Amino acid sequence: MVDVEGRGATSAPLALDDAVLRAYLGGVGLGTWLLHRLAPTGVDPLAPAAPLAFVFSPLVGTPLTTSAKFAVVAKSPLTGLLTDALASSRFAIAGKLTGNDAIVVRGRAAQLSVLLVDGEGARLEAAPELAGLPAAEAEAAVRERFGRGWQTAAIGVAGERGVRYATVSHDGRHAGRGGLGAVLGAKNLKAVLVRSATRVRIADPPAVLAAAKDLRARSFGPATAKYRELGTLANLLAFNAVSTLPTRNFTAATFDGAHRLAAEELHELRGVARNSCASCSIGCEHIYSRKGGGKQRMEYENVFALGPLCGVSDPDDVFAASARCDELGIDTISAGGTIAWAMECAERGLIDAPWLRFGDGAALLRALDLIGAQEGLGALLAQGSRRAAEVVGQGSIAFAPQVKGLELPGYEPRTLHAMALGLAVNARGADHNRSGAYEADLSGEHDRLNGGAAHVAATVGTEDRAAVMDSMILCKFLRGVFDDPFAEWAALLSVVTGWHVDAAELHATAQRIVLAKRAFNQREGATAADDTLPSRLLGTPLELGSGRVAALTEDRLQAMIDGYYAARGWDAEGRPAQEDLAGLRLGRAELHDGARG
Amino acid sequence: MGRAKAALEWHGATLLQRTTALLARTVGGPVLVVAAPGQDLPELPNGVEVVADPVEGQGPMRGLATGLAALDGRAEAAFVCSTDLPFLHPALVRRVLRGFADATVDVVMPVARGHRQPLAAGYRTALAPLVEKLLGEGDLRPGMLFRHCHVTQLDDDALLADPDLARHDPHLDSLVNVNEPAEYAAALARPEPSVVVERFGALASRGQRGPRTVRAASLGAAAAAVGIALDRHVVAAVNGDQMTRDAQLPLVAGDTVAFLSSDAGG
Repeated sequence: MVDVEGRGATSAPLALDDAVLRAYLGGVGLGTWLLHRLAPTGVDPLAPAAPLAFVFSPLVGTPLTTSAKFAVVAKSPLTGLLTDALASSRFAIAGKLTGNDAIVVRGRAAQLSVLLVDGEGARLEAAPELAGLPAAEAEAAVRERFGRGWQTAAIGVAGERGVRYATVSHDGRHAGRGGLGAVLGAKNLKAVLVRSATRVRIADPPAVLAAAKDLRARSFGPATAKYRELGTLANLLAFNAVSTLPTRNFTAATFDGAHRLAAEELHELRGVARNSCASCSIGCEHIYSRKGGGKQRMEYENVFALGPLCGVSDPDDVFAASARCDELGIDTISAGGTIAWAMECAERGLIDAPWLRFGDGAALLRALDLIGAQEGLGALLAQGSRRAAEVVGQGSIAFAPQVKGLELPGYEPRTLHAMALGLAVNARGADHNRSGAYEADLSGEHDRLNGGAAHVAATVGTEDRAAVMDSMILCKFLRGVFDDPFAEWAALLSVVTGWHVDAAELHATAQRIVLAKRAFNQREGATAADDTLPSRLLGTPLELGSGRVAALTEDRLQAMIDGYYAARGWDAEGRPAQEDLAGLRLGRAELHDGARG
Repeated sequence: MGRAKAALEWHGATLLQRTTALLARTVGGPVLVVAAPGQDLPELPNGVEVVADPVEGQGPMRGLATGLAALDGRAEAAFVCSTDLPFLHPALVRRVLRGFADATVDVVMPVARGHRQPLAAGYRTALAPLVEKLLGEGDLRPGMLFRHCHVTQLDDDALLADPDLARHDPHLDSLVNVNEPAEYAAALARPEPSVVVERFGALASRGQRGPRTVRAASLGAAAAAVGIALDRHVVAAVNGDQMTRDAQLPLVAGDTVAFLSSDAGG
């Protein structure tokens, strides 16, 4: 625990019972537990008292591929609910090797500062010279100032200025969703630096080495070919072919200009490199050349959000917009979603911005700059689409592309009914990483246009698997290599920790983490009414190329939500049973305050 | 024919399998096979239901009564056809069913080349009691039914006014059935339908990008034609509709088949 105040920081170790670590693992699970314990009920996410947790995991620091990940967890300034985001980098390894399972920051510095944490504790260093710098430049500057032994998670100018979907980033990878950068910025912290001080403890090193070798071999197989060969951007043209590429603020599910933005096209014309995160053997990052020089990493979600969703098909415009988001330090999905909503508002005459039109790349860049500067229309759009729609009114909330305040990712709910349910009920809001129910829709095993009981089961299953992968932590791009996921993950955890976990225990852990997230949100005022989708998606069908009509009615969604609540053991209002909540180990007994140092 | 038409094969599938699977990919509701008492049916696609006629020897009107009654409460109208239509195209089915947009219509009847096609037509399910009543009165002719209800007839011009049908089935081959061995032989001699295949993502690497036209009567045949194994890492969608890796899924002229990685997303 680090409390930042004035010009200093005080740190105090919090010893966690082994039972808590085993019950919540690490990453998102442990972060959720910490938020329960440390966030005052109803706290303003941008207030000094709001905690921000950097949470490591049991597997980080081991030779297991894709395990170098950390979670950032806080109450979101965008949703007012729990948010958690993962990033992959050496920050995760160094953070774990400070000797801590998590670093939780509270308070507010008197001036823009950086927080340094290593084996000796935490200290605050004033850093006003970093003001206004992109995160990457801030990282370079602190490396120059403090030495190469430190790994840095930093924010861009958007985090400093309180854009509600600002990110925390390290080495070009963002903990992107929910505005965690704004939370760090509200503490007047430009960056958190960590330095290794200890070694990773592994219960059974030979077994872990053997498991790592096996997993690495499997990571080169067909289940990860898509990521290796073209990266996540491979989704774009495929999604367009199956009518699930959200376009022009969800007014269509196919985009005429999709081929110009396709990985297949860009790979041939502009592909320059492929990179991996730290400790990863997949190598999903695909780097493309930019017009006029420079390079840009592109992923499906940033191309979808800044391309088709805004009607923009010129790859140079999308590259430039993506680079601008990186410089500012903002979530591309929320930025694209909010701007797409504003474009529709402008075209309908609901806001006075005649320059803002679908398909206009220059307007997209102008909007991003205004958001970063929090100027004019940008100050409104920096609040995200839900808050902006509440200000603009005139029915614009109906087409604000968000759930619980978080902007929708690039999966059309009307043609992916399991995903529609996942988006509606997920704790983080409209999210594709904590609820990967699209897997079921795209598997060919379910009717993706006719959501029902099978879709509910699939949604619960993907949510449970995500809860474990995000907590132990392994990259979800590995998910396809596991034939019996819970058993195989339990085996990995066992050899690393010595806990002798089995599949049943890990499945119960998954359900506990999902329940804990739900409980946190309910504590913060969330109700069943928040489990829904924008009314546009429930009231306006889409016609497919086959001639069939894809409709997701309110009744169908509600029936699936009811089924989901029942499957989770919650009541008709989505409230967990008291006895289940009592099993969450949220009591003070598990948390021992140490001496402040 | 000398043998059951339902079991005749056409390019790798029985006619019954092809017809039922084609209807399943075309309509949103249930697909039902009405079998004669004791009839041994060939294998059917998953989800296709079978109901047995209670009485033998009453012809298609008996099957119509049984089938419509079995759909009571589950569908307002049904496309009813025989099993021996190897060239049936979804565009014809959709055109027929669109006729029920007029709430007063009971039967939508194609009339191809001057011949009524009661076994490739649309019927309101609410007609079941009327058909049963006529059967009870000993009237086994479909023509009697049409005297008692509102029939919309679709002649060649009316059918081909539908742009999809005109494009994909300009000669209305959907309505060609096989009653004689010579007709079956002629059907077998016709090539598989021409379809467009597109590969996406990792399946499109190494010069495999872009649409390719192949002859294929089923998804499995289309996959084989472009060298794709329909394993757990691959999934397909026909015309942007359902995701599937069902190798038996029938294809028709004009289909576009997209093959993509089943681990799409992320």
